[in-house]
Amino acid sequence: MKLRAAIAGAAVVGGAIATYLTVVHYAHLSPICTSGGCEKVQQSSYAELGGIPVAVLGLVAYACVLLTAAVRGLPAALAGAVIALSGTAFSGYLLWAQLARIHAICQWCIGNDVVIAVVAVLCVARVLTEPDAA
Amino acid sequence: MNRNRLILVAAAVGAAAVVAVVLILVSGNSSTNTPTTTATTTAVGSGSLAGIPQQGNTLGKASAPVTLIVYEDPQCPFCRSWNVSTLPSVISRFVRPGKIKIEYRGVVIIGPDSVRGLQAIYAAGKQNKLWNVSDALYAHQGTENSGWITNDVILAAARDAGANGEKILAAMSSSAVKAELTKAQAQATADQLQGTPSFIIQRPPALPQPLAVSALDPATFDAALSAAIQ
Repeated sequence: MKLRAAIAGAAVVGGAIATYLTVVHYAHLSPICTSGGCEKVQQSSYAELGGIPVAVLGLVAYACVLLTAAVRGLPAALAGAVIALSGTAFSGYLLWAQLARIHAICQWCIGNDVVIAVVAVLCVARVLTEPDAA
Repeated sequence: MNRNRLILVAAAVGAAAVVAVVLILVSGNSSTNTPTTTATTTAVGSGSLAGIPQQGNTLGKASAPVTLIVYEDPQCPFCRSWNVSTLPSVISRFVRPGKIKIEYRGVVIIGPDSVRGLQAIYAAGKQNKLWNVSDALYAHQGTENSGWITNDVILAAARDAGANGEKILAAMSSSAVKAELTKAQAQATADQLQGTPSFIIQRPPALPQPLAVSALDPATFDAALSAAIQ
């Protein structure tokens, strides 16, 4: 139960970041930024995937993880782990893009990278410890 | 630790790796789906710009009472999108009838390739082909800062735009072009530019005002512009 609560809490934090970036994207606003590169990253082609803002995909992913945290059982734990691990790997790719392609760092993206990595660790721990179905 | 659970974790890692690879491949295609050297069509289309007077960085009749200032970066995908989707409508509805003229201000937002692109665009302004070359470069737009704005791309864009490519290459490092870039960057700082594309409405004697748009599609943009110039 503690692990599920922790996953849910972390997913809410990640979802808040993704929501903020989604609002900024559609409102054509500049994200609050101290790293100096948020605007550049948000305006790059890596900010969208097949025409869908990456922030929206992140929001959907965190919502799905939240849903899996609300459900008991191994299948839900496994689904949460797959989503979180996929998100972590894709976040790693986007971090590479920021460093190697865009030459700018977005603090919100880094924050998301940390959160999704934490969620992934918690989800894997849940798979390892989730009680078997009675 | 339960061996079956470890196998499940390994399976989850494998499934996640597959999902991530698919996402990365889609993302890679999205960021490189614009041709670099083989494009033969322009983004706006010569039809939209045909017959519209150009003077340096200004598109439209000099007598137009309102100036729409557009801040752009040739590497910015949203600028390209605005040029492809919305500029033709703005030209048709507002520029061609003489309601507004558009002033191009190129700024470096994305990085080193932007400088080279802007040098080529401002150099084309010396032939009064700035808007055509800007448009043609968007048609060739490649991955950010990958070195995509080569001499070949500039020559191809100039050819598409009906400009003299050799003259553009020769003028790119001129002091006049450098001065244009410096001036635009200074104006962007004064206008507190937050990103590209950004728009400012200038209707003397009123002070310039930012044009607030909720979206860049033709319908939304035209409605905002129409309201702003009334």
